Formats: sequence, structure tokens, C-alpha cells
Amino acid sequence: MATLASSQSFSRTSILSELRALKAIARREWLIFLRYPSWIIAIFVWPVIFPAMYILGARALAGPDGSGLSVFLKTAGTDNFLGYIIVGTTVWMWQNIVLWDVGFALRQEQWRGTLESNWVSPTFRFSFLIGNSLVQLFTVMTFILVSYLEFTLFFGVRFAGSPLLALLVMLAAIPSIYGLGFAFASLVIAAKEAQNFVFLVRGIVMIFCGITFPIAVLPGWMQSIAGWLPQTHIMNAMRSALLTRVGLPGLRSELIILIAFGAFWLTVGYLLFMWMDRRAKRTGVIGQY
Amino acid sequence: MSSSLSDPSIRSHLRALLAIARKDWITYWRYPLSAVSSVLQPLIWLTPVYFMGLAFSVNGKAQGFAAYSGTSDYMSFILLGTALSNFISAVFWGMGYSLKNDMDAGVLESNWLAPLPRPLLLVGRTLTSLLITAITSLLMLILAGLIFGFKPTGNVLAALLTALPLLIGLYGFGFAFAAIVLLMREANTMVDISSYLVQLFSGSNFPVNALPRWLLPVALVLPLTYGYDAVRGFLLKTKTLLPIPLEVAMLVVFMFLMIWLGLRAFRALERHVRKLGTLGQH
Repeated sequence: MATLASSQSFSRTSILSELRALKAIARREWLIFLRYPSWIIAIFVWPVIFPAMYILGARALAGPDGSGLSVFLKTAGTDNFLGYIIVGTTVWMWQNIVLWDVGFALRQEQWRGTLESNWVSPTFRFSFLIGNSLVQLFTVMTFILVSYLEFTLFFGVRFAGSPLLALLVMLAAIPSIYGLGFAFASLVIAAKEAQNFVFLVRGIVMIFCGITFPIAVLPGWMQSIAGWLPQTHIMNAMRSALLTRVGLPGLRSELIILIAFGAFWLTVGYLLFMWMDRRAKRTGVIGQY
Repeated sequence: MSSSLSDPSIRSHLRALLAIARKDWITYWRYPLSAVSSVLQPLIWLTPVYFMGLAFSVNGKAQGFAAYSGTSDYMSFILLGTALSNFISAVFWGMGYSLKNDMDAGVLESNWLAPLPRPLLLVGRTLTSLLITAITSLLMLILAGLIFGFKPTGNVLAALLTALPLLIGLYGFGFAFAAIVLLMREANTMVDISSYLVQLFSGSNFPVNALPRWLLPVALVLPLTYGYDAVRGFLLKTKTLLPIPLEVAMLVVFMFLMIWLGLRAFRALERHVRKLGTLGQH
């Protein structure tokens, strides 16, 4: 019994105890998530209503006789404006949710008054973000699956491409999207009130990455900026995977770019976290509200 | 003595309203970034709409859109819708979300004991937000006009007067909505989704006749649809769903109806929440 207790102790850290801590953090986040039924409702409602604003706007732009579609076809390379918009808005919503949920994970602990006590536990501190992200990843994957089903059912969208390739693109996109979330979480602790930074980051994605329009309609300088944003490549790759039949060879270059972006953002996220950790110890900012 | 809050009168009610508005004004300016954000946010949301318009336009003219709306000036149509939507959001967030804030701050119960009609507490919470919305929307229109182009050619005064019953009627929505927040004790998702849906189906970003046939009735039963339509009819000379005088008359009727219904719903649900004893919970 004593042997068992000591091997499972949090005070003597091992890979096993880290995994148990990670599980405990994920379980806690899951319980909190289930406590607010409206959050669950949101998973089913937002996938339909958020793109609806753009889709209906595009319907109006196409005109009653669909004459505007030929113009869209010339610039976007497809007349499937429904699929085009849906992919863009879904990627945007994914990044937006991560910024709010993962980005504010540590800040919420501060609000609850539990961050300081958690910080002194003998757990790898990055686990607080990873544990939160695991639940978040699960809810987002559910969100995307619900989106896919609802788009097919309610909007009659037909995806000519391969869902498996889309899944591959999503896997390649995870490091970039969550790396940015980790970086953000650390900055939020330093800046305290940071919702305006969320507005800024998601605004940049909205303006430059082509969530509802082809990048080709942007002025040259904006196109250059768009090329440096991973979300632009996620949207491009996802559209190619779902709306066309390019196959894996046609996606290779975008996937390589996404993996490179992922490595960069995960590194930035981790380094910023370590910086915030050191700064917190020096300034005592963790306990401040 | 005559203006004491413990001896309620119209004057004391007005003082209370001003006190609430003043408190919200001070709180708002404590976060100056929020002020910048409320001007820039709509511009950010408008950008993909603008570029999407370009992807469907030839030489800056959206001909497909003109067939629905009667104007090819897509951006002016959108900008006007956005400015009106800002006010819808102000009422929804001002009433529903402010109650949630009070719940979280633990002051809702004590506010509820104040000798002031409770709907007035809610109205007070919208005053600052409406004033700020008016300022930021004007700034947004000026900036957006410079960036995207905004060319109103019609009667500004008539459009403003039309917006008035629309805005007052919104308070009816707001009262009912605030009562639901009291009951559910959660506001963020509800305010976000309801405000978004109302704006979506009222045609803030597109002419409602572009909606699929099965969704059109939803738009036609919303009074705000006629508000958007009439204001655009006056300012941009778009094709309206009904003759403009009829739309304005409908807005005035809806205004009274919505206030009456909203207050009834608020009183019933608020009483229910007091019976449950959950007013202080969050």
C-alpha cells in the first residue's frame, strides 16, 4: 500500500505522475464544460449561423439569376461559394475558439484564484495548458464534425474532395493553431486584460487570410502579409482537400509549409511560456488579479 | 428630501438613471482600448464582406446584388446595416449582459432592493452604451466611408426618425431577454447567439429577399426587418419590401406591442426567479 502510494505521489514527479496530473486537469476542464449547457448548445448552433451571414450575403451578390457566380468563378477558381465560405469560416472559428479557450486558460485560473496554488504544485507547468487543450481539442473536433454534418444537411453543400485528406490537413494545422494559443496564454498573464488582443489576432486572420474571398482580390501588399500567416495556408489546403480532387501530391507543398509553421509557433508558444514563468517568479504576477 | 431615492418620484427615478449611466460611463472609460476596439471591430468584420463583394463585382459594381436590392452600391448597403446592428447589440448586451455582470459582481440582489422600478434599472444600463454606440458608429461610418466608400444620397432626417421607433421597440426585446438571463444565469452565449440571429434574419448584411423561400417568413415576422428596409429606402433609395409609409407605421405599432410584451414577460419571469430564490446565484 505504502509503495503504491509513494509511486503515485504528486510530490515525487515521474512520467506517470505527470500523466495523472494531465488527466486530472483535463477531467476538471471537462466537468466545468459540462456544467454550462449553453456551451454545448453553442457547438451545435454556431457552425450553422456564423457562416450563414456570409453565405446569404454571397447568395445576394450572386443575384437571383446567379449571374454574379461567373465573376466569382473567375477569381476563386470554383463556383462552389458555399463550400468556399464554409471552409474559411470554420478555420476562423477554430482559431477564434482556441484564442479564447486556450489563450485564456491561465487567466481563468487567476480569476478563480487557483493559479498560484496550482503553480506551486510539483507538476510540469506546461501541463496546465496541455490539459486544457486536450479537452478543447475534443470539443473543437466535435464542433467541426457537427459543422460538416450540418453544412451537408442544411446548406446542401457537396464536398467533391476527400474527408481523409481534410483530416490530414487538420492534423498538420493543429501545431500552428495551438502554438499560437499557448503563446497567447502566456501574454495574457503578462497583459492581464487581453480580450482586445484576441480581437486583434482574429481580426488579422479575418482581414488577410481570405475567409470568404480569394486572396487574389487583395492588394499586393496584403497578399504578401497573407502568405506569412498559417491560417491562409490552412484554408488553402483545406479548400483543396475538400472542394477539389487534387489528392495528396497536390497538397504536399501546403502540408510542408503548415508543418514548418507548426514547429515555429509551438516553439514560440513554449518559449513565451517559459519567459512568463520566470517573470512570474520574479515579479509575483501570478497571484495578482 | 423630495429627491430622495427612498421617496420615489419621477425626479428620483431620473437621478437613479443618471447615476447608473454615469457609473457605466466611468467604467467604460477605464478601459480606453475598448473604445478603440468598438470603432475598429466593425471595420474588421466588414473587411471580408467588402472583399467578398469585390469577388462578385465587375468594375466595383455588384450587378447580381442590384437585382435583389435595387442598388449596386453594395458597401453603403452593408455599412448602414452595420451601424443599425451596433444599436441592436448595444441593447442586447446592455440589458442582458449587464445583469450577468451584476450577478458575477454580487450586486444584483442589493440593486434589486433599490426603490426603483426594475425595468428602469435595465433602461439605465443601456443609456451609456447607446451614447457610446452613437459616437463609435459615427466614427466607424466616417472611417469606413474613407476606406470602403459610403454614399448616402437620400433623406438623413427621415432615416433617423424611422430608426427611433425601431430603437425603442428593441427595448421590448431587451426586457424579455434580460428576464431569460435572470432565469438561466448565463448570458454570453445567449446574448451572442440571439443578437446575431436577429441581425442575420433582419437583413443587416443582405436584402432579405435573397433568403431561401423557407427562411423568408422568419425575416418577415421580425419588425427589425422593416426598420432596416425603411432606413435603407430613405438613405440609399433601395427597393423596399413594402411602401415606406406602411413600413414606418408598422414600426410604430411594433414599438408599442414589443414594449408591452417585453415588460409582461420580464415581470412574469422576474417574479418566478424571486420565487425560486435564485436571484443572488450565478
